[in-house]
Amino acid sequence: MTLQKLGLAASALAVALALPVAAQASKLTMGMASEPSAIDPHYHNLGPNNALRRHMFESLVDQDEKQNLGPLLATSWKPTGETTWEFKLREGVKFQDGSAFTARDVIYSACRIPNVPNSPSNFTSFTKAISGFEAPNDHTLIVHTSVATPLLPTYFSNWGVISATANGIKGDIKYDKENCGIANFPNTVDFNSGKAAIGTGPFKLKEFVKGDRLVLEQNAGYWGTKPEWTSVVMKPITNAAARMAALLAGDVDFIAAPPTQDLAKLLTNPKFDVAQGLSNRVIYLHMDQFGPSSNGVKGTGSPAGKYEGEGPCASKECEKNPFLDVRVRQALSKAINREAIVSKIMGGVAVAAGELLPQGFFGTNPGAAPEAYDPEGAKKLLAEAGYPNGFELVLGTPNDRYINDAKVAQVIAQMFTRIGVKTTVNAMTKSVFFKTRNKYEFSIYLAGWGAGTGEMSNPLRALVGTRSKETGLGGTNRGRYSNAELDKKILSALSTVDDAKRELILKAASKMAMEDYSILPLHYEVTSWAHRKGLSYKARADQYTVATGISSSK
Amino acid sequence: MTVTTTPPKAITPFRRFVEDFAEKRLAVAGLFVFVALVLAAIFAPWITPQNPYDLTQIDFMDGRLAPGSSGATMTFWLGTDDQGRDLLSGIFYGLRTSLSVGAISTVIALVIGGSLGLIGAYFGGKIDTIIMRIADLQLSFPAILIALILVSALGQGIDKIIIALVAVQWAYYARTIRSTALVERRKEYIEAATCLAISHRRIVFKHLMPNCTPPLIVVGTVQVAHAISLEATLSFLGIGVPITEPSLGLLIKNGFDYMLSGDYWVSFYPGLALLITIVSINLVGDQLRDVLNPRLQK
Repeated sequence: MTLQKLGLAASALAVALALPVAAQASKLTMGMASEPSAIDPHYHNLGPNNALRRHMFESLVDQDEKQNLGPLLATSWKPTGETTWEFKLREGVKFQDGSAFTARDVIYSACRIPNVPNSPSNFTSFTKAISGFEAPNDHTLIVHTSVATPLLPTYFSNWGVISATANGIKGDIKYDKENCGIANFPNTVDFNSGKAAIGTGPFKLKEFVKGDRLVLEQNAGYWGTKPEWTSVVMKPITNAAARMAALLAGDVDFIAAPPTQDLAKLLTNPKFDVAQGLSNRVIYLHMDQFGPSSNGVKGTGSPAGKYEGEGPCASKECEKNPFLDVRVRQALSKAINREAIVSKIMGGVAVAAGELLPQGFFGTNPGAAPEAYDPEGAKKLLAEAGYPNGFELVLGTPNDRYINDAKVAQVIAQMFTRIGVKTTVNAMTKSVFFKTRNKYEFSIYLAGWGAGTGEMSNPLRALVGTRSKETGLGGTNRGRYSNAELDKKILSALSTVDDAKRELILKAASKMAMEDYSILPLHYEVTSWAHRKGLSYKARADQYTVATGISSSK
Repeated sequence: MTVTTTPPKAITPFRRFVEDFAEKRLAVAGLFVFVALVLAAIFAPWITPQNPYDLTQIDFMDGRLAPGSSGATMTFWLGTDDQGRDLLSGIFYGLRTSLSVGAISTVIALVIGGSLGLIGAYFGGKIDTIIMRIADLQLSFPAILIALILVSALGQGIDKIIIALVAVQWAYYARTIRSTALVERRKEYIEAATCLAISHRRIVFKHLMPNCTPPLIVVGTVQVAHAISLEATLSFLGIGVPITEPSLGLLIKNGFDYMLSGDYWVSFYPGLALLITIVSINLVGDQLRDVLNPRLQK
């Protein structure tokens, strides 16, 4: 014990002495909470991948730390008709292999997006609306969409551009929804090895050793303001306490997601600083609202009908699904003391949620308050719904995906148990959790959703729209809530170009989803980053950790 | 002068065993501690102030209180973890899980491994080769790796952990008993039994087995400690017992997140309990080995 302390003190001293030197070398070492699954910008639509993508592969449109759109590879854009948009592309931009950036590269990238083998979740939701491209010259791009797509510029901020020339394409590319007549796209392995990792971004890939480090190097030929760092090392340190220890010991300059319980101590430590910002990520509970029976529920009696469709109850006996009754859903919502979770478990670093996006985002209802904690009311509702003695429930949760996820789930289990719904928690690592969830094995689960577009249509579409390939709704609606009227509202919002009108529709849709207790929002994550004194970070609403946002304060 | 000689007291083997065992104070202390821990585990529901597995009894608003703090209804002598579980109760209940998982898996593995080893040694030939090669294969992988794979494939739950622990342990017993049995089966009493045309089953289990058990007991004792620490490791990695019913390993893991925040007690006390358990079992096991080893007999 004492020896360890001594060692810690010694290393802290060494860090203090080494600091000025480290700053001069302009090398930045970052401790990351999770590692990207690939360097390939089109492989996996996942937070860490998208954050890394921003270093190397720029998109046409930028999203700043507040998710406001701005010019990046496109200097300006405007709708030229109901279903056409014109993008003016930036001139004088070169890829890291020296080839010039033109409209062809954008078309090529859009062609590749649906053609990434084994992609766990691809980016087609951002390119699906595109029905054709025209390139009158190298730096003008006309985009045709199949339906009115007001969010097209936002979609274009979500995927990176790769070089057509560097990948051996000569001549023009004729866009179609299949593969544009291109047989050989670079594969994900080529990106990971660095061979195909050629973008226009401020950094280029130097080395990617999975599980150990990812080294980026400044792109000397970058068109914009060059980043402050000549070299950036990202180390995946998935354990929060270990990440924190690495920062305290000076092994890293900057860490993502410091443990919430240590924030107070960090803030009072003169050697370190914390950056914080409200994120667009809501943590929610989703309830199985599909068939007459539900897996993992006990004590509700026999189901009213036969279970038909995908899910474990199709092949085995399950008990009655209580969540089809809105009173039960409301009772569970009332049973949750959101403010207490925020103050006690999240250490105050979260905001209790009443909708799927925090106040102030596009499409939220001003004043939408979190459900008030009312265990007595909850018991009454349960009794009305025919469960005076409650029932048994298994709550599924990941234990390494969201801030304090399993801890929050346990507290919710305590709260549910108090109103008579005896709850056990089934916590598992994220990969297993998502697989299990996608097989509909949970009757209730805890998860989170970050709105990539920063407005309400995104969470509504993904989480409460009826699951359907045709409409593209309900991609992550694994509770399988379905409400035709709500679907209509979401779809009409998605094709309404007028901002004011769209906002009104979204507000009404959000209100409707909340009043029907289709999903139970818990809280919005407040994201924290910690770093040594002398640095500063612009907290991002999308929770991404990007080296370009880190600067040394002078 | 008459010399009165009292006839020497008959020394039964058991008495001799007890006397030999008692020679080492440390081992006796270990045994006492172990018995105390077992009693604490068995009677946990009656002696702990709280049932840490009952979600209506714990309140997260009491979370992370320092040792000695008083909550609404009770005093938390060893503090609480982040969910508001009384750590003293948590440790007793955790011991219950850890010890029973260790004991049950050891007994099952002992029965399976012991029988397979005996059968292999007695019959020899192909049966022996097959059993022993499987055991070799099993031993060539680190125990934790096999357990990890099994638990992630089978899913969570105490029964799954027991299966995993049996799977990683049976080979030790099979090897141990086989080596003793190989020597024993060439001895005259086995030959005599064979000449009397006693059935194989009777020879193996009535004649051979009793003479092969001492080393098995020693290995078994040490393996209980091993099983307990393996279970703690699995739970620490978050793939063992359910999160709402923590064993010692999971309690340590819960506290690990708060180590740097200064809330040492959440990890420290369960860790101490685990350490004491394993040390006491090992002390007993070591002395057993010395006592049961004929070469060290005075």
